[in-house]
Amino acid sequence: MPKKWKAIAVVIGVLALSLLLPAPALAHGVNIQYSSDVEIKIVAKYDSGEPMAGAQVAVYAPDDPSTPWLTGVCDDEGRFSFTPDTSIPGTWDVQVRLAGHGGMIHIPVGGSTAASGGIGGASYLQIGLMAACVIWGSIGTALYFRRRRPA
Amino acid sequence: MKKRAVFIAIPLLILAMVLAGCPGGKATGTLEFYANGEGFVRQGFVSKDGWSIQFDHVYITLDGIAAYQTDPPYDPQTGGGISGKDTVGLDGTYTIDLAEGDADAEPLLVGSVSDVPVGHYNALAFNMARAESGPAAGYSLVMIGTAEKGGQIVEFNINVEEECQYQCGEYVGDERKGIVPENGTADLEMTFHFDHIFGSGDLPMDDELNLGAIGFEPFAGGAQAEDVLDMSGMHLGHVGEGHCHCGCQ
Repeated sequence: MPKKWKAIAVVIGVLALSLLLPAPALAHGVNIQYSSDVEIKIVAKYDSGEPMAGAQVAVYAPDDPSTPWLTGVCDDEGRFSFTPDTSIPGTWDVQVRLAGHGGMIHIPVGGSTAASGGIGGASYLQIGLMAACVIWGSIGTALYFRRRRPA
Repeated sequence: MKKRAVFIAIPLLILAMVLAGCPGGKATGTLEFYANGEGFVRQGFVSKDGWSIQFDHVYITLDGIAAYQTDPPYDPQTGGGISGKDTVGLDGTYTIDLAEGDADAEPLLVGSVSDVPVGHYNALAFNMARAESGPAAGYSLVMIGTAEKGGQIVEFNINVEEECQYQCGEYVGDERKGIVPENGTADLEMTFHFDHIFGSGDLPMDDELNLGAIGFEPFAGGAQAEDVLDMSGMHLGHVGEGHCHCGCQ
């Protein structure tokens, strides 16, 4: 087999093996976002209707469910309010506890914010080109091994 | 020879491409399950009707223990079954003595499950079931101890046959539980509030808890559990201070 074909086949083989290495998915999508500050107001009451005056409140952001993002206390009417960070979209969890009783409420925040980043951003043309490269790599390697026997 | 090389190389190449596109193995950790009768059992308490209760043993038998990652989070107020994207079951039946240990003892480890998917297990189900053997054989709950009021001392042995199913939301307490990290350990707790049965002398008689509790007086008079105690109304099972949907029969 001519040396240049051998070299091409080796290069294609190395490129194919490099697919084993993890790499970030890249795309050239457009990222548009908007945000609006929204104050969340909660009112905590027992089943009897009595307000949970002075109840302890812990607010958890979706990016760190273990650590309270904010803590506070309900007022005499069982009310508590906070403004979540809308740059952290997802479900915000608010825990309220008093005298051995408590509960958790889950509040979606940032649902209207457009998705960012490149996940799903590759176009059909980009996907087709990547597939063609992989296929040609396979063909090239096969051709290398299937070189004609000398007469 | 060359054909053999082709037949070996091409599949290996395709396998390499496939593996490159696949995500890595799922991250896992360990989830532990605890039972806790809290200070009511370990330290005793005063019932709504003035009886000072001390427990020697509180045998509770549990099975059907399962934790779930639910989204949206399970709401025990509405009831219904729990369904989650990941479920971890603790197989087996366990009879636990909630009074085991001294007054400051830690909650009791019921069991643990390894290699569970990471994430937040924010719902828990468990059953209070009749024990088939052991100190609580034939009963789902056995409470043994002494109660005192005005110089009168009553040694009690209260046996509950009712079986209950608890479907609970997220644990509510000083810290968040059930968040399993990769190669780490998290825990969940089945909490039992015995003041719901006997009431609390620390609260007014018209407090909602006391209004629903039966107190100790019926048992001091020799009543049996099946005569005076409806477990479905007691809401004994909790997750910390978090609530559970309960059904008993």
